[in-house]
Amino acid sequence: MMWLSGGFVFRRGTSAYHKLDPRVKLLISALMFVTTLLVRTIYELAAVLAFFLVVAAIATVLKRVARTMVFTLMFSAFIFVVNVVFTRNVETSVLYAVRFVAIVVSTSLFFITTSPDELEQVMKTFRLPRDVVFAFVTAVRFIPVMMLDTIQIMDAQKSRGLELDKGNIFRRVRNMIPVLIPLVVNSVVRSGELAEAMESRAYGAVPKPTSLVEYHTSARDKAVAVAAVVAFALGAYSFYFILPTQLL
Amino acid sequence: MIEFREVSFVHQNGVKALDGVSLRIESGETVAVVGENGAGKTTLVKQVTGLLKPTSGSVLVDGEDTKSTSTAKLSRKVGVAFQNPDHQLFSESVEEEMAFALRNFGFAPAVVQQRVAWGLELFGLEEYRKSSPLVLSGGEKKRLTLACILAWDPDVVILDEPTVGQDSIQKEKLVGTIGMLRSAGKTVVVVSHDIEFLWPVQPRVVVMKSGRVVGDGPARTLMLERGLLETARVVQPQLVELYQGLKRRPEEPFVDPLEARRWVEEAAGR
Amino acid sequence: MRGGDMADILEIDGLSFRYPDSPKRAVEDFQLTVPEGEIVVLAGPSGCGKSTLLRAVNGLIPHMYGGDYSGDVKVGGASVKESGMRDLAQRVGFLFQNPENQIFMFTVERDVAFGLENLGVSRGDMRERVDEAMRLLGITDLALRAPHELSDGQKQRVALAGVLAMRPKLVILDEPTSLLDPKTAAELVGLVARLRKELGTTFVVVEHRLDLLVKVADRLVVMSEGRKVLEGTPSEVLFGDKAEGYGVAVPAVTRVQKMLVRDGFIPRGGLLTPEELAVAAGGQGP
Repeated sequence: MMWLSGGFVFRRGTSAYHKLDPRVKLLISALMFVTTLLVRTIYELAAVLAFFLVVAAIATVLKRVARTMVFTLMFSAFIFVVNVVFTRNVETSVLYAVRFVAIVVSTSLFFITTSPDELEQVMKTFRLPRDVVFAFVTAVRFIPVMMLDTIQIMDAQKSRGLELDKGNIFRRVRNMIPVLIPLVVNSVVRSGELAEAMESRAYGAVPKPTSLVEYHTSARDKAVAVAAVVAFALGAYSFYFILPTQLL
Repeated sequence: MIEFREVSFVHQNGVKALDGVSLRIESGETVAVVGENGAGKTTLVKQVTGLLKPTSGSVLVDGEDTKSTSTAKLSRKVGVAFQNPDHQLFSESVEEEMAFALRNFGFAPAVVQQRVAWGLELFGLEEYRKSSPLVLSGGEKKRLTLACILAWDPDVVILDEPTVGQDSIQKEKLVGTIGMLRSAGKTVVVVSHDIEFLWPVQPRVVVMKSGRVVGDGPARTLMLERGLLETARVVQPQLVELYQGLKRRPEEPFVDPLEARRWVEEAAGR
Repeated sequence: MRGGDMADILEIDGLSFRYPDSPKRAVEDFQLTVPEGEIVVLAGPSGCGKSTLLRAVNGLIPHMYGGDYSGDVKVGGASVKESGMRDLAQRVGFLFQNPENQIFMFTVERDVAFGLENLGVSRGDMRERVDEAMRLLGITDLALRAPHELSDGQKQRVALAGVLAMRPKLVILDEPTSLLDPKTAAELVGLVARLRKELGTTFVVVEHRLDLLVKVADRLVVMSEGRKVLEGTPSEVLFGDKAEGYGVAVPAVTRVQKMLVRDGFIPRGGLLTPEELAVAAGGQGP
């Protein structure tokens, strides 16, 4: 759970990266994502990953991203093992494993630096229906609340003798039931209360709701977007056309 | 029985919730912990069963350091009723709910049956034995969580804000239950903003502010210190205010409106 | 902003309501008129139908919850049954009990604007109304904070600001102080009194903790098992004999005052605070 919160929960920041238009941040992470799929050797992947970490450093979120990377290693080790068993090719297995880490880093970078408000803006740009966007924003807004609820529920059940850290995997999963049920029930009750509050504040009254805040794309945002695309193009070109011939 | 030795606690986000708290609660005492929201009352409670461990200092329960044992073991001796019953009810039936903790603590099935029956009867929940705990009313849920705790018969019972959302009839029943626990020799700790409802049991009052204990004494004398209550943002019970207005001698115990009316008459020299 | 004509802002006329899966009626033949600008307190034991009644006033019943509905509720002259939620949301504001579950947005100012966005209010007007509402509630410096960074008292204010931004003439508060400590609760009550004075808004408050409200309320209505059983000024109801029987939490000092008045020890008068009673009985005060 700490891994999830460290790697994907937004926290306010003041770097220039944070201040970029969220669509540009999305573009950068998307390009990063595609890049990880394009590289074909470990060395290139390592260089790409190092580049990601540099960007994370520029965005002043390097510590959190690096920590996420460390936690992801567990899953990537699992991927490595499965691949080695089925393909007997160590090099590609390592590639897939590290690729997974790189993918997590690129998506994590986006979510850590983008506030739910900005996420909403991005979704609106893609012309998603208002109900979907609203449901998403509200869900994200309640993530910290639900995390707190989970801790309180675990405290209450521990106080009734429930041992969450003991036993084999089956025992531990079974012991989660007294934590999951209250969590789910509370979420359902919460939805009901939210629905009442929504109705009481005229949700759905007009087909096109207005918005308090307006988002503008600055010249700087556009410049960064262009630079990102150019960097990607150059990288893709060198990975596909220049480097392989050199290595071969 | 419960001892805090220079306990400080700092949250992960750097906020200091407890600052050098030293406190001793003896067996059989009835203690009320008061203070505004954020004063550290709940943090204090969580230290007793090891849900939180001190950043510095130590907490001892019956001589045992909370750092060296588990919450489950400490909970066998110290039952904590948290504020929100919806954070713990999950079983298919009320009787299953009551059996949960008993089974966790290793009670034999026959004993479990016995204790469940006893608890249901004591709290008037017998008619809901087979019902889902989730469909009970707010007041009934609170009674159920308390019944669950008393079923395993801990030496100490801690209640965290038991009166929130309760009406006056429910509060009266609650203070009656607390009185009963006291007569049974249990140590009772009540964390509450509302000190007035506890008057019939005349608790020892511990006042907290910003993670520190700023006042500690019997209710009847501590509640007279307006300055202290003011800084801790604790509201003086109305009858205490009246009492002070009539300038009575501080040793007199004050219990109820009938008593109060007698003082008024005496104050006027009738 | 106080209206010149003191019309009745709320008229509940013979309202009865039964939920679909319930054999008994939650509200039975309820009658109440509230003139504009009053603060009315609604009290009664748990399960007496208060929540149902509130929802019948703001329109959640019958528009969100169907059931057996008879009688009529009018807010500002418009029938609740016949008006849509869009119209009702602008006439009646509702502050729910749990501050957490009525804040949707990630920043305070956007949540205050929520209702206005839903109504399609223009950005300029919206900005003005949001700023005004935040100023009234004293939360302007919290505008860009996230809800999980706020205390319960602050959350309550944010939710109330969101309600007031829609400029309703009637605001309903459902046990607003139950999760607050006494000092914060007193501050909220003071806030309600101030808003009534500044804006002329009518408030209907459901509350158990009467000691906080008796000084500012104009009227106290007691419900039991779906019916109205007591109504009058707070002193009329609390000095009467029946209040305690209906589970109303008569403040301790009022109980003392009642006994002294009954025995002719002090003259009849308004509800006294502990200080005032001490003085009236011959003490010098603290």
